Amino acid sequence: MNLKLVWRNIWRNRKRSIITIVSIALAVFLAIFMRSMQLGMYANMIENVVGSYTGYIQIHGKNYWEEKTLDNSLKYEKDLEGSILEINGIEAVIPRLESFSLASNDTVTKGVYINGVIPEKEKLIKPISSRIIRGELFKNNGQICIGKGVSKFFNLKIGDTLVIIGQGYHGMSAAGKFHIAGIVDMKNPTLNNMSVFMSLKALQNYLSADGIITNLIVVKEEGSDEKSLRKIIENKLHDDYEIMTWQEMLPELEQTILIDSIGGLLMVAILYMIITFGIFGTILMMTQERMYEFGVMVAIGMKKIKLMVIVLIETIMLTLLGVLLGIIAVMPISYYFHLNPYVLPGDQAVVMEKFGFESVVPFSIDYQIPLYHGLLIFAIALIITFYPLIIIAKLKPLKAMKI
Amino acid sequence: MKHYFIIGFLIFSFFTSAEAQTAKEIITKADHKARGDSQIATISITIVRPKWTKNMIMKSWSEGNKYMASVILKPAKEKGIVYLMREKEIWNYMPSINRSIKLPPSMMMQSWMGTDMTNDDLIKQSSLVKDYSQGIVAEEKLTGLDVWKIELTPHENAAVVWGKILVWIDKKDYMQVKIEFYDEDDFLVNTMNATKFDVFDGRKLPAIFEYIPADKGGQKTLIEYQSLKFDKPIDKQIFSTNYMKRLR
Repeated sequence: MNLKLVWRNIWRNRKRSIITIVSIALAVFLAIFMRSMQLGMYANMIENVVGSYTGYIQIHGKNYWEEKTLDNSLKYEKDLEGSILEINGIEAVIPRLESFSLASNDTVTKGVYINGVIPEKEKLIKPISSRIIRGELFKNNGQICIGKGVSKFFNLKIGDTLVIIGQGYHGMSAAGKFHIAGIVDMKNPTLNNMSVFMSLKALQNYLSADGIITNLIVVKEEGSDEKSLRKIIENKLHDDYEIMTWQEMLPELEQTILIDSIGGLLMVAILYMIITFGIFGTILMMTQERMYEFGVMVAIGMKKIKLMVIVLIETIMLTLLGVLLGIIAVMPISYYFHLNPYVLPGDQAVVMEKFGFESVVPFSIDYQIPLYHGLLIFAIALIITFYPLIIIAKLKPLKAMKI
Repeated sequence: MKHYFIIGFLIFSFFTSAEAQTAKEIITKADHKARGDSQIATISITIVRPKWTKNMIMKSWSEGNKYMASVILKPAKEKGIVYLMREKEIWNYMPSINRSIKLPPSMMMQSWMGTDMTNDDLIKQSSLVKDYSQGIVAEEKLTGLDVWKIELTPHENAAVVWGKILVWIDKKDYMQVKIEFYDEDDFLVNTMNATKFDVFDGRKLPAIFEYIPADKGGQKTLIEYQSLKFDKPIDKQIFSTNYMKRLR
């Protein structure tokens, strides 16, 4: 009975209702669109750098992050691996050895960062082979893969030789000749310009560092929280190790995201403020228009509380329609850009790449974004409904009907 | 009156130059005694660090103070690495990459083979006589030996890194017992102590040199002469860059 009344009330003044619904839908649309883009971009940044490379948690030898030398490395032992894998929420660990060396070809020399990896283990986060744009993965200890920036700098092609000279473990000198098996794209200009990949064994051999690794990447199960996992690992290991989450290892990434996100939220807040007044305007108008009607209803014996419920449901329905319409309108667009990431144009792309990020923006299709913003607009509409409710509560039929 | 002044000046300058002469002579003599006209040595080098130590065995040939060639014999991983010093140049041959390079000036102040000595130390040793002016500052006893304490101050235009060097040379056998290296601000940078005096090829010389950087706790480099032969004829080609690959 009530619903029927509500439905009729809504469509009695079609224009007004449609304007309200559309304005709410537009607000929801814009807010979700913007946040999808931003959050998608952040997720991509984190995925680029953290998820597929740095890892969410890393274990190092004490002080390694402060002073990245082989003296602060750790021995990779089965005991250590076993005690970490026991922890709930941890899927695997990936050992890596990283070291800085000088690479030289012909008359050019450049500092490179060598990553010694076990390709089978790397598959757990992102297989090295999936990064290869030319050639193939290194097959033996004499082969390496280099970043595309490195290959460009040295003008090296597949099959060419790169000489690498550096300082090994415990004062050993390190030097080696390596054949280039493949060229990788790390989707990050900084990494592309300095990365060299070889097998863990090959790098241990080159550095005379048998059984030594510098980073143990902890792969967490989906949904488990890196910060609480970090605590558990910390309690388990003794003081010779340091355990770091990506936020600690890459504070600049987290801060960049935070600042940008706050900017985005500010925009959304302004948008919401405008929308709030928009909705309030319509409802104010509606209340004033229907003053006489309210007076008549109360005068002929309708309970005020029932009238209030009807008005409340009307607003809820209008908002719900608007929110749903907004979400329905934005979802296909978000989904499209999720599958076909938006490529930033010219200058913006250059700026992004300078900061070491990919210049494409895949939209986020996280259900939390529409849920969060839909609920927020809904809450705003409910708060605004207090206005007609108060008016009805204070309504004197005689006065209301006297126009 | 004027004559007295000139005579006085002459006498004064005679005495000062006479003293400088002796300090210089002492250094020259000690240097020549340790080096000989030519020298073939087997040296064990131990790098001591707080967390680890590393030992290397090296064979070296030298002629005067201009030419020196050395090849690493141990550890196996570094076997065959050659350093060749020709006058002011250092060449390095790496067997693992089959390449020889001339160390650029920028690498001169870097550590030599991970030790506490710089590449520069290896070639600049020779210039103690040429680039510095010497003066005896004291005669004292050090580790039971009567020694001269000689201060070396660099000539104004000399291309050297030290602000001052103190050398203790034993009076009987002309051995360099201790050397202290100071920077321009008179801070001690490195200390070299010689111990375990032995007779090599008829010359009494210290067998162990301890090289200690002043500002790094727990770090030092020990250089021990296992064998030392003097004034044997050395084939000239040993000091050529072409021969580096074959040196062993």
